[in-house]
Amino acid sequence: MCYRALAVLVCVSAFAGNGVPFQKEIPKDERIKQALNRFTFGPRPGDAEHVQSMGLKKWIDWQLHPSRIAENPVLEAKLNGLGSLSMSSREIAQNYPAGRMAARELAAAKLLRAIYSNRQLEEVLTDFWFNHFNVYLEKGADRYLVTAYERDAIRPHVLGKFRDLLEATAKSPAMLFYLDNWQSVGDAMERGRPARRGLNENYGRELLELHTLGVDGGYTQKDVTEVARCFTGWTIRQPRLGGEFVFNGRAHDRGEKRVLGVKILAGGGIEDGEKVLDLVARQPATAHFISRKLAMRFVADDPPAVLVGRMAQTFLKSDGDLRAVLKTMIDSKEFWSVGAYRTKMKSPLEFVASAVRSMNGDVDEALALNNQVAQMGEPLFRKQEPTGYSNSGTEWMNSAGLVARMNFALSLANNHVPGVKVATDAGAGITLGAPEFQRH
Amino acid sequence: MTTRRVFLRNSALAMVGVGSAPLWLQRALYGAPGTRKKILVAIFQRGAADGLNIVVPHGEKAYYDLRPTIAIPRPGGGEQAALDLDGFFGLHPALARLEPLFSQRHLAIVDAVGSPDPTRSHFDAQDYMESGTPGLKATTDGWMNRALSKAEKESPLRAISLGTVLPRTLRGAQPAVAVQSLEDFRISNAQAAPELEQLYLSASDPALQSTGRETFQALAMLQALQKQAYQPAAGADYPRGRFGDSLRQIAQLIKADVGMELAFADVAGWDHHVNESARLANLLRDYGQGLAAFWTDLGDRMEDIILVTMSEFGRTAHENGNRGTDHGHANCMFVMGGAVRGGKVYGRWPGLQREQLYENRDLALATDFRDVLAELVARHLGNRRTETVFPGFAPKFLGLV
Repeated sequence: MCYRALAVLVCVSAFAGNGVPFQKEIPKDERIKQALNRFTFGPRPGDAEHVQSMGLKKWIDWQLHPSRIAENPVLEAKLNGLGSLSMSSREIAQNYPAGRMAARELAAAKLLRAIYSNRQLEEVLTDFWFNHFNVYLEKGADRYLVTAYERDAIRPHVLGKFRDLLEATAKSPAMLFYLDNWQSVGDAMERGRPARRGLNENYGRELLELHTLGVDGGYTQKDVTEVARCFTGWTIRQPRLGGEFVFNGRAHDRGEKRVLGVKILAGGGIEDGEKVLDLVARQPATAHFISRKLAMRFVADDPPAVLVGRMAQTFLKSDGDLRAVLKTMIDSKEFWSVGAYRTKMKSPLEFVASAVRSMNGDVDEALALNNQVAQMGEPLFRKQEPTGYSNSGTEWMNSAGLVARMNFALSLANNHVPGVKVATDAGAGITLGAPEFQRH
Repeated sequence: MTTRRVFLRNSALAMVGVGSAPLWLQRALYGAPGTRKKILVAIFQRGAADGLNIVVPHGEKAYYDLRPTIAIPRPGGGEQAALDLDGFFGLHPALARLEPLFSQRHLAIVDAVGSPDPTRSHFDAQDYMESGTPGLKATTDGWMNRALSKAEKESPLRAISLGTVLPRTLRGAQPAVAVQSLEDFRISNAQAAPELEQLYLSASDPALQSTGRETFQALAMLQALQKQAYQPAAGADYPRGRFGDSLRQIAQLIKADVGMELAFADVAGWDHHVNESARLANLLRDYGQGLAAFWTDLGDRMEDIILVTMSEFGRTAHENGNRGTDHGHANCMFVMGGAVRGGKVYGRWPGLQREQLYENRDLALATDFRDVLAELVARHLGNRRTETVFPGFAPKFLGLV
């Protein structure tokens, strides 16, 4: 009885996303708006005309290949002023021992890129994947490590292979520190008895739950512990000096392990963890979990199951090619449907960046904007929990957020946001604070 | 049918809209002293607090075997030692300010309590504890929202969360608002406010329309309250930081009689996989100081109020070798209020011997968290329809109230 009730609920939710709205196409002239809403941080004046003259198909292809896009020189000039962006973690630890200036520059760069970059889709995806592989800047040494994490582990792979992205995060000092794996030490034989030394299962669990299979991906507590054993010895050389990833064989548990039913033979070293990454990156559960999360961000809070299924197929066939997965989504009728169009509530970052972009604002100093995004509930690089922020727009639907948004809209339009210049337009305050502008 | 009361309120709100309605008028509308509503305050400790080091089973030898470096010493062992409660359990020493509340029987503790769902995922476990339906992901609303009885017309501030987002547990059919800070909860430009309000009230988007309507009603009510600076009662010493601010503002809303029935606040940072001792002590110091300040601040009003705390699951019974603990199972809950039968640790104690542990590693579950919450909803808030609040669950009351 209880099981039947459960089954009915599951069925209802499985079909909920497949309704008529996702079958009904939006009019031709709204397709450009849909693309700009979802693949950029909001259209600037003239963007729609630009896409129109270039051709929508070509513009999308262009955005899918950011290396072909010349970057906005205005952005480059502004980023040049932020010295820590190009530093190694060791240099940041040396030059900014308190970490505050580097953190400020990192957040400023994120806002400036969101507002000015010509490679808008790459920025949207960098935000998405950082959040998927979330780390918390305020946790100890992470204040030195997050700049390189976003720059070297996340950004280069957002349109590449999922397996590469996964390994880049697994071997990043930022993740190793954040999820404590750097301190995880395998059990060893001591005086003929297995001694418990220091296994830490934090990373092992989140790797399976949040990074790959998803919480319903069919793993057990035993799998979590076994994965943690495989990653023992994956650590950091001098983390508090901003040091690098290193494998420490002495901390590694060399015993036999079994992960998701697959045996990992005794005597292995760093390859034990790499085998786990190979295994989990290619699981159907991972393909589904990643595809659904992308569809939540780009299509709808509750995306159609059939679309997610097609994206997952592409993921498996292409060996986790994230550009190919996005193409499957873009080629779907669901993406261009009434069910998707303007149905997503903007996140605070999306709202603030899109407001500045819509007014062609000139950002001299992003600190005030950063504070505003935090006020609305999304402090950048400061989500303490490994889950990251929700990809569901509903998360942002509440009175505290609306009040902060209306106040930001009014002060931006009246040129009262420090560091940002706009052509004063009192009417724009109402437009940007209105219900219409909260969705994209 | 428009009753006189509704008419009066609507005209009062119109006045409040231009910032002139006196607080006494709002009080008259939303509940005068004498007809005071019962209030439930829920505190969520996010990250899975280590219950075994908060309510310390110092009478259990296995506890000290499992935690060679992080165990809290037995009572009498100096400043770092547990504060004895009943000869078997003790409080973490950083909770010294709660000890008098326990001995004066205003504070009850439920131990080995939690969700029967086996998940060790923070996200899922929080979700289940907030929805009130462990194991069932399809539930769209939260138990706190369902605990609000449907009424003809109620205060727009009947359910409030202090923070930037509305938590899962307050989402649902009944209106609920999130307020980050009472002082800043206003539209900065008085000329633009009515125009924006009109746009939200006439929005075709149903979610933005209803959230917008609730927001502007809450703005109107809070405007009067913002005119008076809040002064906590003498001796109410709230800790600095977001948790203390949240409790202080909940107290402020209670004293202003704005018709609040449910309040929610959370406090993050309890996920201590590494070097737990110092970090847990810091969090507990604020937690204990906050609860004690709230008690002192509200004084006699605590007769109408119960505060309950929870965390998504407990932590491993054994320490993990990084002087921390990993994700576990059962935990503890605190229940504080004038009507609470305190001074007692409730619930069966399952023990910490290996064969007594859940999956050989965690404190086993003896009490369902819904037993505690359902009793508070039924006996304190007076909402007897617990089957609506916790569907599919038959609660066994512990006799907390």
